[in-house]
Amino acid sequence: MKISLNWLKKYVKIDVSDEDLIKLIGARLVEVEGVIDENAKYNNIYIVQVKSCEKIPDTHLTLCQIDVGIKDVAGVEKSDSGLVQVVCGAPNVREGMLAVWIAPGAIVPASVHEDAPFVIGKRKMRGYESNGMLAGADELDFGDDYSGIVEIDPATASAGDLLADVFELKDLILEIENKSLTHRPDCFGLIGLAREVAGILGVRFNEPDFSSSELDFLKTPYAGQLPLSVDIADSSICSRYTAIVLEKHGEIKKKYLTWQDTILSKSGMRPIDPIVDATNYLMLLTGQPLHAFDYDKFVAVSGASRPRIVVRLAREGEKLILLDGKDVVLQCNDIVITSNDVPVALAGAMGGASTEIDENTHKIILESATFSLYNLRKTQMAHGIFSEAITRFTKGQPACQTMMVAEKCAEMLSGGFKIVGGVDEYPEPEKRNVVKVTVFEINVLLGTKYSKDLIIKTLENVGFEIKTIERTRQKEQEKLSAKNNDGINKNDSELEIVVPAWRTDIHIKEDVIEEVGRLLGYENIVPTLPSHGTAVKNEMLELKTSTRDILKSYGANELLTYSFVSERLLTLAKQDAKNSYRIINSISPELQYVRQSIVPSLLEKAYLNQKLPVDNFALFEMNKVYQKEWGMDKEGVPVERTNLGFVVAERKTSGTAFYKAKMFVERYLAENNILAKFVPLKEKSAWAEPFEPKRSAEILVDDECIGVVGEFKNSVRHNFKLAEYLAGFELDLEKVLKYARSHRDIKISKEHESRDITIKTHSTYGEVVEAVEKILAEEKLVAKITPIAIYQPKDVKHISLHLEFDTKINEEIMHKLESFTK
Amino acid sequence: MVELDRLKLELKNLNTEYAKIREIAPEKRAEFGRKINAQKQDILERIKMAEQAMLDVEVEPLDITAPCAPNEELPQVYSVFDGSRHPLMTELDRVVEIYQLMGFDVVESRQLDDEYHMFDSLNFAKEHPARDGYDTFRTEEDLIPPAHTSTMQHRVLKANRKKLEQGKEIAVVVPGRVFRNEDVDATHEHTFYQCEGVYVSRDCNMGQMLGILREFFEKYYGQKLEIRTQPGYFPFTEPSLEFLIEKPKTLGGKKGDFLEMLGCGMIHPNVLKMAGIDPKEYHGFAWGGGIDRLVMLKYGLDDVRYFESGNLNFLKEFK
Repeated sequence: MKISLNWLKKYVKIDVSDEDLIKLIGARLVEVEGVIDENAKYNNIYIVQVKSCEKIPDTHLTLCQIDVGIKDVAGVEKSDSGLVQVVCGAPNVREGMLAVWIAPGAIVPASVHEDAPFVIGKRKMRGYESNGMLAGADELDFGDDYSGIVEIDPATASAGDLLADVFELKDLILEIENKSLTHRPDCFGLIGLAREVAGILGVRFNEPDFSSSELDFLKTPYAGQLPLSVDIADSSICSRYTAIVLEKHGEIKKKYLTWQDTILSKSGMRPIDPIVDATNYLMLLTGQPLHAFDYDKFVAVSGASRPRIVVRLAREGEKLILLDGKDVVLQCNDIVITSNDVPVALAGAMGGASTEIDENTHKIILESATFSLYNLRKTQMAHGIFSEAITRFTKGQPACQTMMVAEKCAEMLSGGFKIVGGVDEYPEPEKRNVVKVTVFEINVLLGTKYSKDLIIKTLENVGFEIKTIERTRQKEQEKLSAKNNDGINKNDSELEIVVPAWRTDIHIKEDVIEEVGRLLGYENIVPTLPSHGTAVKNEMLELKTSTRDILKSYGANELLTYSFVSERLLTLAKQDAKNSYRIINSISPELQYVRQSIVPSLLEKAYLNQKLPVDNFALFEMNKVYQKEWGMDKEGVPVERTNLGFVVAERKTSGTAFYKAKMFVERYLAENNILAKFVPLKEKSAWAEPFEPKRSAEILVDDECIGVVGEFKNSVRHNFKLAEYLAGFELDLEKVLKYARSHRDIKISKEHESRDITIKTHSTYGEVVEAVEKILAEEKLVAKITPIAIYQPKDVKHISLHLEFDTKINEEIMHKLESFTK
Repeated sequence: MVELDRLKLELKNLNTEYAKIREIAPEKRAEFGRKINAQKQDILERIKMAEQAMLDVEVEPLDITAPCAPNEELPQVYSVFDGSRHPLMTELDRVVEIYQLMGFDVVESRQLDDEYHMFDSLNFAKEHPARDGYDTFRTEEDLIPPAHTSTMQHRVLKANRKKLEQGKEIAVVVPGRVFRNEDVDATHEHTFYQCEGVYVSRDCNMGQMLGILREFFEKYYGQKLEIRTQPGYFPFTEPSLEFLIEKPKTLGGKKGDFLEMLGCGMIHPNVLKMAGIDPKEYHGFAWGGGIDRLVMLKYGLDDVRYFESGNLNFLKEFK
């Protein structure tokens, strides 16, 4: 939304600098996204009088002598009679008219924001010297009209005046972020904004007096002269509908450039014709959109003899051709204006083609109404209509001003139209909200010490009406007050606040407290620190932090990948998409399913990194996973698990990757003082699916499976186009946390001895170690056993182990160990 | 193997069958072609599956109890210099650590939640346009991958309300991953991280909220900071504010530069009520801000898409 500061200043007296004002607006009302400085936009552009016109033969051009009204203009030669020569191509140039002259050296205003602004010069056209140009509305940035040059009303200006002075064009335009006003329909009109600015500056806002209008049509004799009825099918879709019928009694000839044209342009709209301009101007001023129907077309559409406006929900499948020519199929949430049940307009969004006003329009129906913002939101989305009108309606315009604005519009058009009838249908007039709050409550929530008088004045400045009831504070509040040492006097005042009709957003005391805090400036609240207790630690978070550090120290890289995956990825990893929660409004098929485990996402990223290429790497991620088969938790939301996924991949290595992944997970678990057992993979759950059962293991602690480690199925590896040396693991971190110990038992031995042995065997490594431990146990010995190597020249494996004892041992036991073969 | 051979034979037969199309009446050819083609697709699909299955058949089992394969060296971890932590997680840890030092408990946010926690319990009126503003994803079951960490607020309040009765306060931060249905570009991600704060006590006020937030950012940036606010709007806080800090020196801030850091406000009485806390007795405040932006500012990153790219060239910069 664009706001002209000059226009704003017409409604509120501002005694701070523009810079300070913009800062205050930003801090206390709304986000100002940008400021467009138009102070220099109309430099060297003058009102001039055309003194003589002479057609240049064989061209559409006219040679004009103009009175520029000022003595000297740099670089311009005047004739002996003191006039300046300009060549003009416009058909409407004529002797005696007041026109707008862009002097040589000035920039064409419509081009000031372009990369290369267009500078007007002195040049020869068809052999005639032309000094600058006479400007059309399009060149001045006041619309798209390029049919002729702009004419100025002699009653408002004379030759030599600066255009910028006559129309107050030295201006700053504020660009307001609409989203920050979602809850403030009143601020979508200039008056509402001006009221807030008054409040921010601490002055009382003078409500512009619309009601002084002489055209109070319901009380005047012409009311009801022309039959017109309004039926609202359901007041929840349309709370109020005001309609005025206007009849033409003369031409509103648009001849001169007006101040209103400049306001429409500065606000980002365009002057079009007198009726549309009046409705647009009033919408910008009050926030209330208006619409004009051609009365005779409206009646003709229905086939009835008298006009009957029916506001109702559309019926599924009904059709309507809109003003922009689009043929739309209506949906059951759309509100339609109908002529005796025949749809003629999509309420709040756009009028229909069948009742469009044109140059032959004799009577118009002027609509000023409010519609359900909920329905209009859906209409907006369904039909993709983002007009200025619907932007305002979808904030929930208050019903209080429909009639007032319609009357004002009729008044503005009174030069060509007179009122011949009208209806105001307002089935359930809105009641004004009343909120009670005490001065104490306001100060307690804000942490301030504002006086009763200041609070009342602040609220009254923006239209709240307040009754004060004195009373003493309750005991509880006394205690609090003593604690805060707030210094407010003992007696508290209760404020009974009548909320202005346009503030449909204020219902409870906190809403009022916000108004006080905001208008007086949150920057005046002193930041303090509460004293409170200590925090408890979050063990899962600590585990994740330490996991990060441990795996990083092993040279692994932490990744984050999306929680949503494609059906393709699930299939590649052999997981069943039916076990994944499916997103119905996903951005793309790539992000359609909630992932069941972490490893598949890592395999996808492993491919990306092998292509970079990085030869050797280990990737890990800790994140939440969900599977449908886990069902719901106590709260009725899906069971959630936090998994650690890990993948190691090497491009140019041959060998058995399984042992690499196993070593990583074993060391990681050992850091958490977890001693795990590796048993053949029997798990049939989703996270085990990508793993090759013959080359993978379940990770057991106390017979509970806490994870899976291994190589992947060949098909999976092929699917992800990865090199052969590839393995990984996935751990359930809740279970890791369950078994993790902060420390292990230590035993500081006084003497120790270590031996290496080699055992020839057909057994597995695990069986050998178990056997060794058993033999040692028989001797009441304990050793730390670590592998040295496994050598297998033919059938028999040679397993070499390193044994560390915490005591001296005798040779006998070593013989026993060495002589044993399994 | 046998299965695969059989399928290949079947495919061959089908191709022979297809050649007969010339013998068929022209008007029936289209239907015939479609039928054969459907069968062909089916066989090709089955061949693909059989080939996949075959890949997985001839696999050598290994000794899962061993530390290495026979005749191979014992595996080693990589060099510590190759390792890295994800910058978002490092920052999240740091943020959380500061709040913990300030006495805040930590509860992690869920990544799949329901309408009640995401909207209803936060005073979003049914069908309120504010719900649209969050561009939420939805699952078939009408579950929501949360669009803000406030999805945990109701749980945090309910779980801790006993503390209030004991005369203590609720002080919790909620870090977590959130999701918005947004097209991705250099400054927008559909997946990002937030940290939420919730504070409730008998006597807390807006001054304390501003105090806590300023304290956090001063600790985080290691310098004194000017703060600023702008009015904001959230259905679950009243009053609502946008919180800004002076751009810190470490980020090249000059006098008068401000950064929008988060949204905050006093918890709406309806939100307290729904969690079983009497808003006449207790007040609270809450805030929430993005983590991704902190990291981008810190390292001068210009593209948010790096974070979930999984690209090691990027990640290895964060050792």
